[in-house]
Amino acid sequence: MARKIIIDTDPGIDDAMAIFLALQSPEVEVIGLTTIYGNVYTSLATRNALHLLEVAGRTDIPVAEGSHVTITKGTKLRIASFVHGADGLGNQNFLPPSGKPIELSAAAFMIEQANQYPGEVTVVALGPLTNVALAIEEDPAFAEKIGQIVLLGGAFLVNGNVNPAAEANIFGDPEAADIVFTSGADVVAVGLNVTHQVVLTELDRAKLEQSNGKFAQYLSKILDVYFAYHQESYLMKGVYLHDPTAILAAIDPSLMTFMEGVVRVQTSGITRGLTILYNRQKRFGEYTEWTDKPTSKVAVTVDAPAVVKLVMDRLMES
Amino acid sequence: MENEMTVGASNGEAFLPGFPFVKTEKLIIDTDPGIDDSMAILMAFQAPEVEVLGLTTIFGNVTTEDATRNALLLCEIAERPGVPVAEGSPEPLKGGKPRIADFVHGPDGLGNTCLPPPKAKNIEKTAAEFLVDKVSEFPGEVSVLALGPLTNVAMAIKRDSSFATKVKKVVVLGGSFFALGNVNPAAEANIYGDPEAADVVFTSGANIVVVGINITTQVKLTDEDLLDIKQSKAKHAKFLGDICSFYRNWHVKSDGVYGIFPHDPVSFVAFVRPDLFTYKTGVVRVETQGICTGHTLMDQGLKKWNSSNPWSDYSPVSVAWTVDAEGVVDYIKRLLMKY
Repeated sequence: MARKIIIDTDPGIDDAMAIFLALQSPEVEVIGLTTIYGNVYTSLATRNALHLLEVAGRTDIPVAEGSHVTITKGTKLRIASFVHGADGLGNQNFLPPSGKPIELSAAAFMIEQANQYPGEVTVVALGPLTNVALAIEEDPAFAEKIGQIVLLGGAFLVNGNVNPAAEANIFGDPEAADIVFTSGADVVAVGLNVTHQVVLTELDRAKLEQSNGKFAQYLSKILDVYFAYHQESYLMKGVYLHDPTAILAAIDPSLMTFMEGVVRVQTSGITRGLTILYNRQKRFGEYTEWTDKPTSKVAVTVDAPAVVKLVMDRLMES
Repeated sequence: MENEMTVGASNGEAFLPGFPFVKTEKLIIDTDPGIDDSMAILMAFQAPEVEVLGLTTIFGNVTTEDATRNALLLCEIAERPGVPVAEGSPEPLKGGKPRIADFVHGPDGLGNTCLPPPKAKNIEKTAAEFLVDKVSEFPGEVSVLALGPLTNVAMAIKRDSSFATKVKKVVVLGGSFFALGNVNPAAEANIYGDPEAADVVFTSGANIVVVGINITTQVKLTDEDLLDIKQSKAKHAKFLGDICSFYRNWHVKSDGVYGIFPHDPVSFVAFVRPDLFTYKTGVVRVETQGICTGHTLMDQGLKKWNSSNPWSDYSPVSVAWTVDAEGVVDYIKRLLMKY
């Protein structure tokens, strides 16, 4: 039976790829999208989520709008419009969607689904972790009832992408991220150390363009802005497949290997948003902030060619 | 020792093949002895090309007061009574009681070897004063090997705005780059001891080489190596054997390592034999707040940042990236077994 997944998302060009990829994957059943700020503000994320479902002809899937502020009620958000375009989808001036989000908030929707299908729902979180942390705070049983939380976030033993210390999703709400990592839920983190190995090349993009797949066609158009950003920032002719890799960690974890350990997030100072994994290999003489905390699984290796191939194949089949 | 020439010098020193018998490298060792500090100091005294201008002391493995006592003892043991010892700060820049790692080095810092007190006294100058004076006396010629928390070096930088440009090189043992710490998962002990000072030093613009525990823990002196040293004819064989035993037992307990990580000797080798390492350059900042206090973070320069961040606009430092571990062990053993 297909695993139920809720995609918490801030679309976002690679979010669009990830959502389409999930819709094309028989291993999972997308039971809802929840929205969050990050690549765009939350209200635009909601609009884009509805738009993407309309493009896919899947308006049966509910969209629940998430938080507009961080878990500490912060309103000064970092929005990566320079990565994804002002509209979040490569500046294509798509028409507004006709659908509307449901009445429930993102956190309330996650809690409802976790209660309805205890242990069966996976949340794949592709943006800052505010909604997931709110669900954990609002329902003490959520961490136990949610099947798994697969999150795109962190930079484990590598530089970040917002600054040398921090990855964008964790930097977006470090307090929320620390709540999620120490919640005791079954948490799987896919960080930059892995997603920076998964690159879609210009050749791959040309293949998407030439294929008849509906999603492939759509994506090849919106990818311009994303390629330009990578050229500018990383001097590379290709793009990182952050969100699709995270989705695949939920769909087929055998594409990666994981290390289990305690993850904590730095919430202050110049390294705010830094993620540190303690895998318990070394013993410390003193009590540390990592001592006696619940563990998470962190992706450490990835079969990158297999990931790119799977993404390409499924998007071109559409 | 068959490869070593023992013909030598009026002060009875041997020299290693390949090195001219000229003391060309003026060095001040800032230290918290400490068992591996003691090894590094004895190595520096043995290295023919190094002229030890003095030792400055700092808290860390022991209190600053005990570090001064041990530094004086080491000068006596090495028969270098003329080498000045200047006492450093008893506490980190922001004040407060320093963290002392006596569980690693024993309450006396020298593996409970219970040596009698030294005869000599430290000089009147503070460590920072001594550092500033010597660097001003020989601008561009004096290097500093910093084996403990960086309080004294930061104070020297704050005391004299030209210190950073006048010091030839500062080799720092500290930090953990893209690897776990040893105090906690985020922080290495020397940097954790005074994170504010470390950030001052790394952003000072001085010529800095950092050797983190990601490098020093790749170099191991095994039980066999320690036995080789202990059974050698070296002048300090017995002393080294005595102090290493406590340190070695802690390694077994803490890391399951049958031997020792010679952190300080490796840093000394990075000073005298930089060719045994490779380096990456980048701006390094130190976290001074929160659960990751003491974390050293280097910008590897893989991305062009689209806005300024706390790493922007500082001078890069050299971070040791790889090490020829076998070469370093050979060099350490050769110096310590020299008689």
